Amino acid sequence: MTAYVIRRVWQMIPTIFGVILLIFILFNWVGGDPAQVLAGKISNPDQIANIRRQLGVDQPYWVQLLIFVKQVFTFDFGRSWSTNEEVSHIILTRVGPTLTIMLPVLFITTGLSVLFAVLVAYVRGTLTDRMVMIACTVAMSISFLVYIIVFQWLFGFILGWFPVQGWSESFWKNLTYYAPLPIMLAVFVGVAPELRLYRSFFLDEIHQDYVRTARAKGVPEKGVMLKHVMRNALIPILTNVGIALPGVFVGSFLLEVFFSVPGLGREVVTAVNRSDFPVIKAVTVYLAIITMVINLLVDVMYKFVDPRVSFK
Amino acid sequence: MGLRAAETGFDPVLVYDRYSVGVCENLFETLVTYDYLARPPKLVPLAAETVPEPEEGGTRYTFRIKPGIHFADDPVFGGRKRELVAADVEYAIKRFRDPRNRAAYAWLFEHNILGLDELAERAKKEGRFDYDARVPGIEARDKYVVSFKLKAPNYNFLYFMAMPNVVPVAREVIEAYAADTMAHPVGTGPYVLREWVRRAKIVLERNPDYRGFELETRYADMADEWDRRAIEALAGKRLPLVDRIEIYPIEDEQPRFLAFLNHEHDLIDELPVSFINQVLPNGKLAPQLAAQGVRVFTELQPEITYYAFNVEEKADGTDNPVGGYSPERVALRRAMVLGHDREQEIAIIRKGQAIAAQSPIPPGVVGYDPDFRTDAQDYDPARAKALLDMFGYVDRDGDGWRDRPDGRPLAIDYKYLAGGQEYRQLAELWVKCMTELGIRLQPSAVQFADLLENRRLGKFQLADDAWIADYPDAQNFLQLLYGPNTDQSNESRFRLPEYDRLYEKSLGYPDGPERNRLYREMTRLLFAYAPWRLGVTRTFKHLQYPWVKGFKKHPILYTNFKWLDIDVAAQRAAMK
Repeated sequence: MTAYVIRRVWQMIPTIFGVILLIFILFNWVGGDPAQVLAGKISNPDQIANIRRQLGVDQPYWVQLLIFVKQVFTFDFGRSWSTNEEVSHIILTRVGPTLTIMLPVLFITTGLSVLFAVLVAYVRGTLTDRMVMIACTVAMSISFLVYIIVFQWLFGFILGWFPVQGWSESFWKNLTYYAPLPIMLAVFVGVAPELRLYRSFFLDEIHQDYVRTARAKGVPEKGVMLKHVMRNALIPILTNVGIALPGVFVGSFLLEVFFSVPGLGREVVTAVNRSDFPVIKAVTVYLAIITMVINLLVDVMYKFVDPRVSFK
Repeated sequence: MGLRAAETGFDPVLVYDRYSVGVCENLFETLVTYDYLARPPKLVPLAAETVPEPEEGGTRYTFRIKPGIHFADDPVFGGRKRELVAADVEYAIKRFRDPRNRAAYAWLFEHNILGLDELAERAKKEGRFDYDARVPGIEARDKYVVSFKLKAPNYNFLYFMAMPNVVPVAREVIEAYAADTMAHPVGTGPYVLREWVRRAKIVLERNPDYRGFELETRYADMADEWDRRAIEALAGKRLPLVDRIEIYPIEDEQPRFLAFLNHEHDLIDELPVSFINQVLPNGKLAPQLAAQGVRVFTELQPEITYYAFNVEEKADGTDNPVGGYSPERVALRRAMVLGHDREQEIAIIRKGQAIAAQSPIPPGVVGYDPDFRTDAQDYDPARAKALLDMFGYVDRDGDGWRDRPDGRPLAIDYKYLAGGQEYRQLAELWVKCMTELGIRLQPSAVQFADLLENRRLGKFQLADDAWIADYPDAQNFLQLLYGPNTDQSNESRFRLPEYDRLYEKSLGYPDGPERNRLYREMTRLLFAYAPWRLGVTRTFKHLQYPWVKGFKKHPILYTNFKWLDIDVAAQRAAMK
């Protein structure tokens, strides 16, 4: 397994180069000129040129690309062009609020989805199963934005159960006071599609020969579901969670904007609007690395979930 | 309270967004500022003893700083009180021209103070700004007196010195925190930055060493209920009164509005237009808000929106059908102006929260003429069609669209800001109006940075635009059409020698009838050549709960915290 892991880590290097190149091309091709944004209301071509010089965007593309590569491998992306804050500080301070929301969302959504998926798969074909599926389809058909607006208005304002928005420096206050409403929202929205997906995973397994064999041997239905079906259905579930996991680190832009959460998602969107390239490239590279690492971890975990899996 | 957008920081030279600048207003002090109650805005001394009179024909301004003003305590001062002196003003002005600072307001001191341009040029060549170099135009005569000598008369220089970015700073503080001056504001203002969770929370606390001041009532209008209430609440008291101010950047409209309704915030600045019908159904305050004693301050901002035609013959290297000064091109622009239904824009898109701009000079700035009216920009599609017919813009190929006088097809690009519903609706209205005239208009949504660049470099034919006053003088608006400002703020790239001559002449006059006459002539040229379709001046509603005392929105200053008081008992009672 060690050889496999080393080989996968080694393969990450060309992938990172690909990411760097892609970001660089995209920024220079479709990204706006940051000097125009930073120049303010009245500025002459000379000032624009000075800003471009100060930012280093007047240098030849290959020089800019080399600087970018160096930044990636030294983990030093310099400072934000719009706020002058160190990019590393931006990431370190914004990732906390994002995880405060997104980790509970991931765990609760996955837990509830798996639980409900098992239950509806168990009663497959019944009225309950159909009703749950209809409810999921309806829930999935409504925009996330609509949920946010309605939930914030209903639970934050009309019922007053939660604050409408806000964030503090206390982790516990954030987790218990400010985060519950956005978490509840994201869970509510996230459960429906995952439940449908996981239900199909369970149903795929239910019809397998080994399940029939287990039943023929007299294993109780509960045991069949939890011991046999669940364990095999976990592999695609794990893959799905693995795909979603990198998103946890950048959060939901909509949630962060509507609930004034000073997280990474909100930061990225602001950076895009301000053509703040240091922030954009740092977050993108950081996300790419996280995605690769998580993919590797998920692949390794397959081995523990399913002993038939072997690394080559 | 909530901010409509996230702050960027609090170094007055580096910041340019109005929200960060608004916070800086409370941390730093300008030499002169605006009276809180006077309308139109009137300059009064702040860190200076008096508002200086222009000397030497408007080319020299001498400020005497009040002795005994101290910067807020900071570890950089090593436990000693640090007094504000003339050298701090000199240092602050020089910072605007240091190329490393990329100051957005560098233009204030460009081609202005004698010798400063040369020092900035030297800095560009040497890669280092010499702050110790003597500038002939900045003379720190003694500890408290600083005198500026300008290259040419500038009767708006005092307004420049009242801008919240132009504040004295201590050089040792800037140098000590050089790596992140945005996070270490140390000024002489009434408040200090106590807590800052970037993009989430800004906490200001009263500067314990601040000398305090009393409300100036000399310029109050006793017929104005807001003035009367402010005087009643504040007169005779030592200001500031509010000990702690919490500010939350909230970009989205709904949470900002709900936070106010929930009493999480005491006031809401610039009520989003989308909630106007809930707050003011049929123009009257909603009963549930009226029952709580909510007050609504209506502000006509010193700003205009406009639609800029690129009047150059070529736009981005291609033929520009709306560019040029020939009679048929001017006629086309004028017809488009007449064919654009501005009343519909105000009534439907802006929900009545705007007035039609009658000239490029909005209400509330010096030089505004409330009696100035013109029909050159009225909605009149019949006149527009007649004008187009007269100059040969007719449908020659029978495709239903008008063609150019030489027979080539007529299609005009319209660029607008992507991402906003309002901008999209404005574009749709333009398309609808132009279709009615038979003109093919092709709208395209453009990202913010690209739109800025396109407008600045003339890569457009027609684009939406706006300007808010940096200082309350008409010159700040009329410079938008001054020929030499092409590639800068003159986004129409309007170059008319007659206009430029009038503009340059107006710079040599202080406020008065002669300057106003020149302004009127310039405005008439705008109507004649139609480089703009004038838009609107927006009105904003600012809501407060009754426990907020002394509120009056200033047209130039963004915040008014130092003039406010809070009835804490009433506030707490409402929270229960």
